[in-house]
Amino acid sequence: MALLSFLDRERSIAGEHYSRWLVPPAALAIHLSIGQAYAFSVFNLPLSQRIGVTHSAPEDWKLSTIGWVFSVAIVFLGLSAALFGSWLDRVGPRKAMFVSALCFSGGFEVASLGVVTHQFWLLLLGYGVLGGIGLGLGYISPVTTLIRWFPDRPGMATGMAIMGFGGGAMIASPLSTTLMAYFKTAQVPGVASTFVTLGILYFCFMMFGVFTVRIPRPDWRPRGWTPAERPRAMVTTGNVFADRAIRTPQFWLLWVVLCMNVTAGIGVLGQASPMIQEMFPGSISVAAAAGFVGLLSLANMIGRFFWSSLSDYIGRKAVYATFFALGAVLYAAVPSTGRMGNVVLFVAGYVVIMSMYGGGFATIPAYLRDMFGTVQVGAIHGRLLTAWSTAGVLGPVLVNYIREYEIAHGVAKADAYTTTMHIMAGLLVIGFVCNLLVRPVDARYTGEYQSPAAAA
Amino acid sequence: MPESSRQSGPSAGLVLRLAGAWALVGIPLAWGVWQVFEKSLALFR
Repeated sequence: MALLSFLDRERSIAGEHYSRWLVPPAALAIHLSIGQAYAFSVFNLPLSQRIGVTHSAPEDWKLSTIGWVFSVAIVFLGLSAALFGSWLDRVGPRKAMFVSALCFSGGFEVASLGVVTHQFWLLLLGYGVLGGIGLGLGYISPVTTLIRWFPDRPGMATGMAIMGFGGGAMIASPLSTTLMAYFKTAQVPGVASTFVTLGILYFCFMMFGVFTVRIPRPDWRPRGWTPAERPRAMVTTGNVFADRAIRTPQFWLLWVVLCMNVTAGIGVLGQASPMIQEMFPGSISVAAAAGFVGLLSLANMIGRFFWSSLSDYIGRKAVYATFFALGAVLYAAVPSTGRMGNVVLFVAGYVVIMSMYGGGFATIPAYLRDMFGTVQVGAIHGRLLTAWSTAGVLGPVLVNYIREYEIAHGVAKADAYTTTMHIMAGLLVIGFVCNLLVRPVDARYTGEYQSPAAAA
Repeated sequence: MPESSRQSGPSAGLVLRLAGAWALVGIPLAWGVWQVFEKSLALFR
């Protein structure tokens, strides 16, 4: 147990010679690992051929069944972030990141057992439940720490970490494909061995983050930086605890803001490949469509850093207003570029849309910090991530069902996307109004608390 | 207390540690970005 005391909050306070620029790589190590979740779809086909190997045998899992694994993981991401956020603020980032590493990598090992024994419930329990808990804890763990290390540029700092979540899939997708090709034999598609290997690799990588992360001393501040005497109108000087924060209208307005932004973005991401092929029939191949999806992932990642950094200068509210106003216009207009046959404009439009989707994730922690202070921003952020879980279900359901309904009623495939995109634009208008309604938190929610966590 | 009261710059050890930490996360990320970039070229061919 003495070994585990290394994980204690008191043991992770930075010494005099520690540089705060070591915290972003520690955070990135966690987020680049858990960002693997976005690349889970590379396992879908091999998992559906576990018995048939080269084809799906009758006893093999259906693709629709396998789809539940990712959905459950995202639901548990939101739930664990909401449930363990307060615990994280109490025990500090190092212990939370360690537990995240155990759950996330352990989830791979349990899932591999499920693949070997062909027990779907084990796969769901491993990657979906255990892995999902690791995702939630890992996602919120470094955020509070970064906000405290970078009070001068909180948007940029959290953007750097959350950018890793977007970038994780870019590493995981080719890595998983390479590993599966290496482990594949005439008898097995290589998924189980790939899971075991990924579990070990990600554990080691995440442990680098665990060993590197530190929290600042209570009296620490960046060199040459002093808090503004008159902070911006939208920045609170007090602190609000998580249990009080969820009773404020600001929390729920931001919940809707995140939910609308994510719902619209997921709608595009989920059908990007068939969409571009059907809107440009004959001119976009399957390989080119895969390139389009890749480009969207890149925009998603870069947008996380760009928009959240910009929010340090123009404010969070202005950035979200841009997401929703520009987003609504683009969602409504981009299908027309498809009808005009202009691939470059079509791609450019969606690249901007996806950058704002990513930017929404990365800017929200700094927005919460502005509204509720730093004391329990981790717990509040965790609770707000239930909006992500909701959007994870709402987005694909909305898009798929509306599209199926349209096609069933005689609408051409390419035109069915137009309706979907117009609905997404409508969602962004709702988000725009909610963002507009956000005002500083009433003073009765702040100021009267003294948190033990505030010391760090 | 400010970030550091020392007047001199960061020590060589710290610079090495910073470079190592950023390389550890930067190299895999750059590899992933390159993979995506290569794949996305198919879109414009």
